[in-house]
Order: sequence, then structure tokens, then C-alpha cells
Amino acid sequence: MKKIQILSFFIIVVVFSFIYTGCSARSNIATAKSGAQLWGENCLRCHNTPSPKTFSDAEWDAAVLHMRVRANLTASEATKIVEFLKTAN
Amino acid sequence: MKVQFLIYFSMSIFLFSPRQADAQEVQSTDEIQKLREQIEQLKNESAAHKQGTSKFLLRGYAHSGLQVTDESFSFIGGAFNPIFIYKQSDRLLFESELEFELEDGNLGIGLEYANMSYLLSKNLTLRAGKFLVPFGIFVPNLHPAWINRFPTAPLGVGHDGIVPSNDIGVELRGGSYLGNLKINYSVYAVNGSQLNDGQEDAEEGGILHHAVFPDNNRGKTIGGRLGFFPFSNSSLELGVSGMYGTVGAKSSKLEDINALHYAFDLSFVKSLPSLSSVLDLKAQYSGTKVDEAAYPDPEDPTNFVTFDNNSSAWFAQVSIRPALIDNKFFRNLEFAARYSTLKTPEGAAWEVDETQIDLGVNYWIDWRTLLKFSYRISSSAEEDHVEPEHDEIAGNAFFVHWALGF
Repeated sequence: MKKIQILSFFIIVVVFSFIYTGCSARSNIATAKSGAQLWGENCLRCHNTPSPKTFSDAEWDAAVLHMRVRANLTASEATKIVEFLKTAN
Repeated sequence: MKVQFLIYFSMSIFLFSPRQADAQEVQSTDEIQKLREQIEQLKNESAAHKQGTSKFLLRGYAHSGLQVTDESFSFIGGAFNPIFIYKQSDRLLFESELEFELEDGNLGIGLEYANMSYLLSKNLTLRAGKFLVPFGIFVPNLHPAWINRFPTAPLGVGHDGIVPSNDIGVELRGGSYLGNLKINYSVYAVNGSQLNDGQEDAEEGGILHHAVFPDNNRGKTIGGRLGFFPFSNSSLELGVSGMYGTVGAKSSKLEDINALHYAFDLSFVKSLPSLSSVLDLKAQYSGTKVDEAAYPDPEDPTNFVTFDNNSSAWFAQVSIRPALIDNKFFRNLEFAARYSTLKTPEGAAWEVDETQIDLGVNYWIDWRTLLKFSYRISSSAEEDHVEPEHDEIAGNAFFVHWALGF
């Protein structure tokens, strides 16, 4: 029981260390990727990529926020994707 | 004569031209006024339809189909899952999925999830309510009928499987970059699974039930998932999940019994230009280990029996779609295969050792609507034991399903 608790605590510490590091680290790849590229890579991991014409701009706001939470997108990724979808709409 | 004509002509121009100019000026003024009124009207209409910060979106999916087995030839399904998405603000989101499904001729209604998410930072979201447990990849990512490549879930996954599906609690989740390595993470506390003590039905002693409310004890189950993307194009995701908590009922003989769930998952999606296709590979191994405990003997419930209460299930599926070729018919075809197994504890009344192979051909009508044709080959090593509840369909079967996401 204690081993499991220690392991759980360790995992939580590691995860939040990742989060902290991730917030401060600069990723060249993340910066370089376009909205279209992120749209393709992230959507296709689970389902076919949706056409930008599927929803209105306002609906894309809600849909991408939903997917930001569901697919664990970063704020930057979600912003680029929604901007791409609105531009191509 | 010519002089007279010129005089009359000049006088006519002199007399009538200013009046015509005046008339044109009046007409132009009227038109400008009308345009101003129209612009004002459009402004008012536009203001009436101006988007607020709150936005609502209704999405979901539906599916139905035909099932052919040795014993039945029947249209089945008729499920409808509306998903409500409400963006309260840039940081606050509510989402909920209902499930309407025909079960034994009656309409069953279920709440798959209903939760609120608050974006704490660029990389961290707080979620509270009933949510799909981030355990492996099938339940949180692949279970919707229009995403799942097959009409059914793999062995061990689903409402009566060994893999946790949904629960009530709180969660911290998000995604970030470690240099150029992308990761995602989730840590949560939920009510957790509940252990069947076998008092009501001795044959079910030792089974873990998921998504049962309210909680049967005061302990909360802690869990998490960590995902890595080793490649810069995010084509490969590797994940590890774990859950640990008390599952025995408070004030019962099993109140100190705990259970550990763990899973490893893989997702690989890659365009293959040489084959003009997109390859999709998914796999998940799930295991459950429950502390040793004694349960009523199904043969004689006054006696107690014990067994190693360990279960495991895994699946691997591959699908390939020639999406990059010009022919419209063939680029909408997809070929899929899945292998899944389930092993429950040896010596338990609900022991099962089962394997399924699913082979399918899908046709995508659009990006979220498809027809599925699949054949299942099922084999069980424990024919004499009671069939588990994880799946109502036993044996080989042929399916024709349609699924639509909206």
C-alpha cells in the first residue's frame, strides 16, 4: 500500500514537473508548425480530419475548445488550428 | 430658319436643363436616404445576431446495423448519442454525452459524461464531474461508433468490461512540450470501481463493477495517464495509465481490499505515399490486480473460496485506407483487422479465456459517416464456464453497420 502511494506521489511530482518544464521550455517544432499541419496531425490521430466548411466560425470556437480539452492540445496549438479552420472556412 | 431653330433649341436648353438637374439631385438624395435606412436596418439586424462569448454546439453520433450469427439474423442497435458542448467563456467549457439505446426492446438512457472544464493555464485544464476516464486510448478516444473501425468494442472494453470507462471526480489534464518532445498528462481522483462480494450472487464474487454510484467507501481512487510523442510529426503516441484505490464496501469484510488497474497503449498514424494510403495502428494492454480476498463458493455459498483476482485484456488493430489515390470509390474504402483477448481469473465462476479476430471493410461516405462490413471469429478456452457479461454476442458473427457522426 505504502509502495503504491509513494509511486503515485512520485508520478504526480514527475507529471507536474513536466508541466512546469513544458510551460517554460521553448519548442522549435511547436512554433514552426502551421495551423493546417497541426489540424492534420492531431485530428487524424483519432478520426478523419474535418472539412473547415463543416462548422461556422462561431461553432469552430466551441468545437476546438472541446477538442483542446479532449485531445490535450496546448493553447498555441488550439489557437493555430481554429485560426486555420476559420480562414479556410 | 436655321437661326430660329437654334434660338428655340438654346432657349429649351436654358429653360429645362436646371429643372432636370434639380430632379436628378432630388432623386439621388432619395436614393441616399434609402441606402442609409437600409444600412441602419442591416446594422440593427446584425446587432441582433451578434455572437456573444457563450457558444453552443450540438454534436453526437448514431449507429445501427445488421447482425448475423448461427442463432440470429437481426437488425440491431438503434443507438443515438447526442453531445452537448457549451462554451461558457474562453476558459470555461461544459460538455455532456447522453446515450439512447434499445435494450431488450426497451429504451435505455445513459449519461456517458457530463463535466465542466476550466482552463487554468496554457498547459493545464481542471475538469470536474462525470468524465471518460483517461485510461488507455479506446474508451477516451476511440469508442464513438463513427470513430471505432468495428461495430463492437474489443474484448474487455465496454460497459461490462474489465477496463474502466467513466467515473465521477476531478481531473487535471493538459499537453506540453519538453523541448521538442510533446507529452500529454492527466491526474485524477474518482469514486473508483466497486468489488462484488458475492453475497447476492456467488457466481459474481470478485468482479469489479465500474461507474456505479454512489461510492461504496470513503476512499478515492487515484489515477493518471502519461502520453509521449517520440516523433516530431506526432504520428506515434505511447501511453501508460494507472489507477489505484479501495474497491471493497465500507463496513464489510472486504473494506480493506484495493485494486490496481494499469494499461499501456500505442497509436501510430502515418501517410504512406508509396501505397497512396493512410495507415492507422492502435493497441492497448490492460491489466487488473485485486488484493486477495475470500468469496462465497458458488457450489456451496456457506463456504468461501479464494483465487488470484487478476484479469487482463489487450487488443491490436490495424486499418489501411488508400485515401491518396484519385479514384473516389477506392479512396473511401478502408480495410481493418483487430485481434483482442480477455482473460479473467482462473478458478473464478466468471473465468473466461477468450480471443476474437475481427476482419472488416469500411466505406466512408464522408469524413464522419461510414458503412462497416465485418466478420468476427471468436474462440473461447473455457466453454464450460458461464459466459461473461462483457458482450452479448458470443461466437462467430457477421455485421453490417452504419455509423454517422454529426
